[in-house]
Amino acid sequence: MDFEFTDDQLELRDNARRVLASACPPSLVRSVYEGGGGADDLWATLIGLDWPAIGVSEEHGGLGLGFLEAAIVVEELGRVVAPSPFLATVTQLAPMLREAGSPGLLAGIAAGDCTGTLALAEGGAWRTDAVHTTARRTGAGWVLHGEKSHVLDGASADEVAVVARLEGTAGDDGLGVFLAAGDTLSAQPRPVIDPTMPVATVTLEGAEVGGDRVLVEPGEPGAAPAIARALQEATTAMALSTTATCRAIFEATLQYAKDREQFGRPIGSFQALKHRLADMYLAVERASSLAYFAALTIAEDDDRRGVAASMAKAAAGDCQRLVAGDGLQLHGGIGFTWEHDLHFLLKRAKSGDLLFGTAAAHRAQLARMLGLAA
Amino acid sequence: MRLRFDESVEAFRAELLDWLAAHRPSAEEMAADPSISTGHAPDWARRWTRQMFDAGWLVPGWPPELGGRNAGPIETLVYIEELARAKVPRTTNVQGLGIVAPSILDYGSEAQIRDYAMPILRGEKTACLGMSEPGAGSDLAALSTRAVLDGDRFVINGQKVWTSGANYADFCFLFCRTDPDAPKHKGISIVLVDMDTPGITVRPLPEIIRPEHPDLNEVFFADVVVPAENLVGEMNNGWAMANGSLAHERGMVWVSGVMSLEESMDRLRGELPAITAGLTPAERAVAIDRVVELTIDTTAARCLGYRGFAKLAKGGSAPEQALMKLFASEVRQRIALVGAEVQGAAAIEVGAVDMDGHLSVDEPQGTWLEQYFHSFANTISAGASEIQRNIIAERVLGLPRS
Repeated sequence: MDFEFTDDQLELRDNARRVLASACPPSLVRSVYEGGGGADDLWATLIGLDWPAIGVSEEHGGLGLGFLEAAIVVEELGRVVAPSPFLATVTQLAPMLREAGSPGLLAGIAAGDCTGTLALAEGGAWRTDAVHTTARRTGAGWVLHGEKSHVLDGASADEVAVVARLEGTAGDDGLGVFLAAGDTLSAQPRPVIDPTMPVATVTLEGAEVGGDRVLVEPGEPGAAPAIARALQEATTAMALSTTATCRAIFEATLQYAKDREQFGRPIGSFQALKHRLADMYLAVERASSLAYFAALTIAEDDDRRGVAASMAKAAAGDCQRLVAGDGLQLHGGIGFTWEHDLHFLLKRAKSGDLLFGTAAAHRAQLARMLGLAA
Repeated sequence: MRLRFDESVEAFRAELLDWLAAHRPSAEEMAADPSISTGHAPDWARRWTRQMFDAGWLVPGWPPELGGRNAGPIETLVYIEELARAKVPRTTNVQGLGIVAPSILDYGSEAQIRDYAMPILRGEKTACLGMSEPGAGSDLAALSTRAVLDGDRFVINGQKVWTSGANYADFCFLFCRTDPDAPKHKGISIVLVDMDTPGITVRPLPEIIRPEHPDLNEVFFADVVVPAENLVGEMNNGWAMANGSLAHERGMVWVSGVMSLEESMDRLRGELPAITAGLTPAERAVAIDRVVELTIDTTAARCLGYRGFAKLAKGGSAPEQALMKLFASEVRQRIALVGAEVQGAAAIEVGAVDMDGHLSVDEPQGTWLEQYFHSFANTISAGASEIQRNIIAERVLGLPRS
């Protein structure tokens, strides 16, 4: 039992932090916010560093590192509000490909040749039992009908894994996953508060998918568990990212409380602020600890991974609720301005909470997993 | 990072479990003669502490001559966890074994170690810790109980309060002022005082739950005469020792607190179907949501503990423990409160759940409402939650002192 990173992992984290300090400064985020672009260069840098290959096995052209290493990169990207296809590609599409045993595309992801995402949610619900999109077999292929909401990078991803079900099925029965090329889909980008987490509505009205692009065959006995496992990974990654963003908010607020003086002393010397900062720190550590626990259950394929992923996402949601609010409040007027960089973090934290299931949604899921609710 | 322990640690656990199974006092034996105060050691407790000492299981991190086996920190963590799981205390005199004996071993004279520390480790004596006073609670350094050196003896006058176990303890590890002119942190000394010394009056302070078994006391000192050789360590250096005393198992004791949170949650989840049977679906959904939230808190407490422990094992700082104390004590309080609220009006009934002996801090007993009131023992004592927040803000986060 060890809840601290190894020296190699700490070195990876330090390197990632150093790279991102120059490759993804707040000015880059601001440029994306203000329509100036710049995210492509960052992605090219990350590909050059082999980051997309971190979690891909060596036989599939990856670096063969584990989920913990991927988690470290996810955290560092969340810390600097990186606008990047990494999250959707590496933590949403890649796990599904791995569960499906699709080596070809994994090699493409590892090499940085393709980006991707996962189209699961419908009407803002990330539960598989809320999937109504249907898949109908036609000759050698499949035809999909339905509408997917809040697909991260949905308008730009090269490959989209679509979760759909056989007509007439419900719950976990009849679920399958189909890989559609992004340019064959109708994706409407949504105007969002955080342009570093762009989402799209993907409409599938008769979208055709070839038989060779079925990732998880509907009706197969292992289908639902495979989808669940991939979702646990994506959910945990979103929790890690959001918690890391919260830690950045907390650290910025702590520094501000030490620097800003009023009544002739740093405002952080006032007990009213000290206690709120202590509570923010506790919320960040609580969420971090649960996110690392979830990451460990995935890295070691422990039976608790479903429960741990939902706990991590719920805790990340609780954390941002306190830290984003208090972070803005304690910064005072300056944090309320467009000019200050704080709002990039605040909006990313909110997006991270609301995507892949809110805290309340994951508590409801936990109630079912713990046998407290039907 | 990993989820499992090494095989050598598991071997240590297996050896401990075998030994416990063969030697532990039974639940019936403990319930028949319960400890009714942290200063009170029933016969079974004295025998058991002695047995653990002789077998090297009392303080595994210490050498054999002190009742240990030179175990490492991870083994000690496993040890504390397994004792909590087995529901068998090492001692009923927690402050004696946890604070007083280690402090005397660190700072005391050979005679003090022989006459006071070793008897605690062998289950022969119990100790209380004389710290808080009516005018010195969170601001402990403001204490005013005076010890005046008069030749080869101290003459002590003053009053302590909230002194756990003083009504049964054999001696007191007493913090007193020996230099009233020095700055308040620099005029404090520690003196060992036998509780049967003339001039000491102990007045128990019954608590809001289980008043028939008081653990807290007021202790009055009127011209109490103590040999000068009972001074522990250096004169006027008591404050430094107060801050250094708990050291070696700090970073591991959290695990028994977490085990008890887990046990409470197992109980609450188990009772949930029955106590929510009369609710509407909407009311039940609210109740379930609160219980799930506390389940997350409880898992978080264990993960936070492991994180802090990993940092400590790699030489991190001890103030991190303030975070754990704050969080675990507040979760304990929320569990009891939610338990009572989910249960509804039935929670006001008393005597519905048996209580054995006195209520120890890590051992929730009684109904949810009784547990709720008692849980304030954790958020008030040993540094109130507000003090923990100050410690976190100043020592962990580096905010300037007010």
